[in-house]
Amino acid sequence: MWKRLRALLRHGELDHGLNAEVRFHIEMETEKNIRLGMSRDDARRTALRSFGPMEKHKAETRDARGVSWFENLVADLRFGARALFKHPGYALLAVLTLGLGIGANTAIFSVINGVLLKPLPYAHGDRLVVLQQSAPLSGRANTGVAIAEYFDYRERSKDVFDGLVEYHQMNFDLINRGEPDRVNTGVVSANFFDLLGIKPVVGRTFVAADDVKGAEAVLVLSYTYWQTKFGGDPNIVGQVFEMNDRPHRVIGVLPNVPHYPQENDVYMPVLACPFRAAAEGNIARQRRAFAALNVFGRLKDGVSPEQAASVVGSICHNFTNDQQFAAAYRPAQSGFQGTAVGVRQAMTSGARELLLILLGITGLVLLIACANVANLTLARMLGRDRELALRAALGAGRGRLIRQLLTESTLLAVVGGIIGIAFAWVTIGMLTRFVGRFTARTGEIDMDFIVLIFTLGISIVTGVLFGTLPALGSRVDLVSALKQGGAQAGDSSGRKRMQGALIIAQVAVSVVLLVGAGLLLASFYRLQQVETGYRSQGVLTAQVYGNFSKYPTAQSLIDVYRPMIERIQSQPGVMSAAITNAVPLAGGAPGTTRFDIEGRVSDDPERRPTTDTRIASPRYFETIGIPLVAGRAFNDLDTAESQKVIVINKSMAKYWDGIDPVGTKVSPDRGETWMTVVGVVGDVRQFGLAQDTVAQLYIPLTQTQQGLAGRLVIRTQGDPLAFANSMRTIVHSLDSTMPVEGVQTLDDLRSEALAAPRLTATLLTVFAGLALLVTLAGIGGVIATSVQQRTKEFGLRMALGASRESVLTMVIRQGLMLVGIGLLVGAAVALAAGRLLNSYLYQTAPSDPMILAGVAAVFLLSGVVACFIPARRATTVDPLIALRAE
Amino acid sequence: MSTKLDLLQGTLDLLILKTLALGPQHGWGISQRIQQISDNVLRVNQGSLYPALQRLDTAGFIDSEWGASENNRQAKFYSLTKIGARQLREETQQWERMTLAVQRILETKV
Repeated sequence: MWKRLRALLRHGELDHGLNAEVRFHIEMETEKNIRLGMSRDDARRTALRSFGPMEKHKAETRDARGVSWFENLVADLRFGARALFKHPGYALLAVLTLGLGIGANTAIFSVINGVLLKPLPYAHGDRLVVLQQSAPLSGRANTGVAIAEYFDYRERSKDVFDGLVEYHQMNFDLINRGEPDRVNTGVVSANFFDLLGIKPVVGRTFVAADDVKGAEAVLVLSYTYWQTKFGGDPNIVGQVFEMNDRPHRVIGVLPNVPHYPQENDVYMPVLACPFRAAAEGNIARQRRAFAALNVFGRLKDGVSPEQAASVVGSICHNFTNDQQFAAAYRPAQSGFQGTAVGVRQAMTSGARELLLILLGITGLVLLIACANVANLTLARMLGRDRELALRAALGAGRGRLIRQLLTESTLLAVVGGIIGIAFAWVTIGMLTRFVGRFTARTGEIDMDFIVLIFTLGISIVTGVLFGTLPALGSRVDLVSALKQGGAQAGDSSGRKRMQGALIIAQVAVSVVLLVGAGLLLASFYRLQQVETGYRSQGVLTAQVYGNFSKYPTAQSLIDVYRPMIERIQSQPGVMSAAITNAVPLAGGAPGTTRFDIEGRVSDDPERRPTTDTRIASPRYFETIGIPLVAGRAFNDLDTAESQKVIVINKSMAKYWDGIDPVGTKVSPDRGETWMTVVGVVGDVRQFGLAQDTVAQLYIPLTQTQQGLAGRLVIRTQGDPLAFANSMRTIVHSLDSTMPVEGVQTLDDLRSEALAAPRLTATLLTVFAGLALLVTLAGIGGVIATSVQQRTKEFGLRMALGASRESVLTMVIRQGLMLVGIGLLVGAAVALAAGRLLNSYLYQTAPSDPMILAGVAAVFLLSGVVACFIPARRATTVDPLIALRAE
Repeated sequence: MSTKLDLLQGTLDLLILKTLALGPQHGWGISQRIQQISDNVLRVNQGSLYPALQRLDTAGFIDSEWGASENNRQAKFYSLTKIGARQLREETQQWERMTLAVQRILETKV
C-alpha cells in the first residue's frame, strides 16, 4: 500500500526513473549489438526495434505501478474544469447554490462543535456535575441551594464526590484609582478552581488559608477583566483595591475559560462575602437561608452521573422529610427534590434543541441544493448524450464515464465548499451572538480543523450525492445516440421521471421549511403586537446601586434616591422621573409572596394567593405610562411614618372577586402588618413578552424595609439617550462613587426581549426563502428543458390547430402537477413535524391553517411564474421551423 | 531467429523471480540471463519486461535500488524479497505440477 502511496507522491520522480531505466536498457542492448559486429547506428536501430513501441511499454509500466487512477483523476479534473468553464452559467449557479447550502451547514456545525461537542476546557470537565433543587408542584424549576443544605450535601455525599464546592454571584464596587467599578463577583469555596481543574495564568488561585476568619481579603481576576481593565498588566498580582470598605489584594488571574453559571469579573472566597456571612449566622433558625448557592461536585473515579444524582436525590429526600424542617419544605405540597446533572449538559441544555433544529433545517436546505444541482446536471446531460456516447464508442467503460461525471460533480461541490467556508466565516459572528442568548458557552465557537474536515466531508458527500443520480441515468444506448443526435438520445424517460421526483421532493422540503418560517413569523408578529401595559417610547433607564456599606439601611438609600429624582425631574426636557427596583422586561423571575386579604384570611396557609412585589416612587406609573384604573398612585404624603399603603395591579385585584379592593387591607405576614390598597393599576409584561402577566403589588419607595437596587426611569421629550450625560452628572453630584450602569431606553429593553425570537424567525425565513428560490429555479429549469425537447411536438400541435393558450396551459399544468404533489407531501410532513417548533411559538398553533394555505398560495403562484417564463417560449415556436428542424 | 519461443503467459514473472534468486540484477541483465540460461530458446519481449518488473515491485516480491552497473553506469537493480522467495517456491511447485500434468496427457498413447 505504501508503495502505491509513495508512487503517487513521487509521481514525476518515478517517471524520470523509468526513462533512465529504459535508456540504460537501450544503451546496453546497443553495446551488445556493437560487440556482435554492427555499426553504431545499426546497433542502436536494432536495439530500439527489439524493444518495441517504447511509449506503449512505458504506459503499461505506469499502469502496472497502480497509480493510473490518480492520473485518470487528474485528467478527469482537467476535463471537468474545462467542461465547467465552457458552461459558466451552469457552473456558477451550481457552485453558488451548493456554496449557500454547505456554508449554512458549516456555520451551524461550527456552533454545534463549539457549544455541544467540545469537552469543557476544565481539566476535569467531564466529571463535573451541578446539584439542582426544584419544587415542581409549586412551579419552581430552580429553588437554589441554601447554605444549610449545602452543608448537608457536603457531609453526606463523600462516597460519590471528590468534593463539593459552592458558588454565588454578587455585585460589589471595586474602587480602582478612585473610580468605582461595579463588578460581577463570583463568591466561591477556596478549592473551587482546584476542583474544576482551572490553573491560573498569573499568580495563584485560592487556598484554604484564604477562607478563614481574619485572613487577608484576596481577589482572583477573570481573564477578560484583566485584559480590558488592566491591559493584561503582568504586575497585577499584589495590587490592592478597595472593595466593601476593605482592601483586597489581587493574587492571580484565571485563564480565558467560559464561566459557569455566570460571567464574573472577579472572584473572592466565601467568607469575604458579607451577605453570605450574615446569612450563615441564621441557618439554625432559617433552614433555607441564603438559597442562592450553586453547588458543584466532581465525581469520584468510576462513579456515574446517574449514581451521583440518585445519592443527591436521597440526601435531599432525607432532609426534606425531616420533621424539624417540615415548614421549610412541605415536600408533599411542593414536590421539593434534588438531583445532579453534568455541567456540560446543564450549560448547553438551553441551546441544544434549537441548534439541532437549525442543523436539521440547514441539512434540508443542502438537500434541496443537491437536488437542484442534480436536476441542472440532468438537464445538461440531455445535451451531453452525444459526447458521452462518442466516448463510450471510443472505448470508455460505463464505470469510467460515471467516474468522469462524479469527478465533475465533486469538483463543483468542493468549489461550493470553499464558497461555503467564506459564507460561514462571514455569518459566524452573528450566529454566535444569537446562540449566546441560549447558552453561556459561546467562547469556543471557532472554525477549527474539525469544522473544516466536516465541510470537506459534506462537500464530497454532496458531490457524490448529486453526481450519482444523473450518472445512474446515463445508461447510454450507443447506436441510437450516435444515429439520432442529441435530442432524443438516451434513456430520457427515466431521466424525466427522476427530474420529476426531484422536483416533488424539493417542493415538499421547501414547503416544510416555509411552513416553519411562517409559523415563527406569525408568532413573532403576535409577540411584537403584545400589549405590554406601559409606554416604552421616550423613557431612559439606568441602574444606580448604592454601596451597601455606605448605605446600610433602607432609609439611607431613600435619602439619596429622593433628591436624585427631584433634581432629575427639575431638568429641562424631563417630563417625569421615578425610581423602582426593576423595570419591565429587564429579566428576573416573579416573586411569590403569599398574602391575606383582610376579612377573608385563609386557614390553610398553602392556599393563600401569591403576588410579586415591586417598589415604586410616586411618579413611577406616570413615568413609564402604566394606567391608573382605580384609586390613586403614590404621592409625597406616603412617608415612612404614614399609613402603610400599596398599589396593586389588575391581575391581583381579581382575588377580590369583583369587590373594589381600594380601601381594603392586605397582609403579607399572616396579619402582623396590614397595608391599605390605595390604587389599582394596569398589568404589565414584567418578565417577558410571552409570559402571562402575574399578580403584582407595589410598595412606595419611602415605606420599603429592605432597601433596593435602584433603577431610574426618566421620561424625556425627544431622544432619551441625549439625557444620559446629565443624568450621570446629577447622580455623581450626590455620590461620586455611585456607579451608573445599564443605561438603556425602555425601547431597547423591549427590542432585546424580541431579539431571540426575531433572530430565530429571521434565520428560518432566510433558509426557507433560499429553499424556495432554489426550488423555483429548479422547476423553471426542468420545464425549460422539457419545452426545448418538445419543440417539435409543440410545432406539430400548433400546426394542427392548437392555440397558443392551450399550449401554454399544457406546459404550466405539467409544472403545477409536480408542485401540487410536492405541496401535499410537504403539508403532511409539516403537520407532523410542527410540534418540534411548539416551544418557540407564541399563541400560534403548529397546524395553523392560515399559514398552510398561505404557503400553498405562495408556492402555486410562484410556481406558475416559474413555469410561465419557459412555457411562453413553447408558444413562440414557429410550426414550420419546428417541423423542419431535424 | 525463428526458433526462439515467446514466453507463455504468466511464466515471465516466474522466470524473473528465478533469475533474481541468483542475485540482484538490472532489467537488461535479467533479459540477457534468461536468454543465456535457456540457450537462446526463450525470448523475453523486452517491452513486457518492465511492466512485469513494476508489477512484481508493487506486489512486494522484488525490491529495487539504483546502483552502478558493470560498465559503471547508473542502473536500477532488482533483488528478491523474502515474500518474493516464498512466491518463487510456490510458483515453481505449481509450474512443475502443471508441466507434469501436461506431459502425462501428451504421453498418453492414442
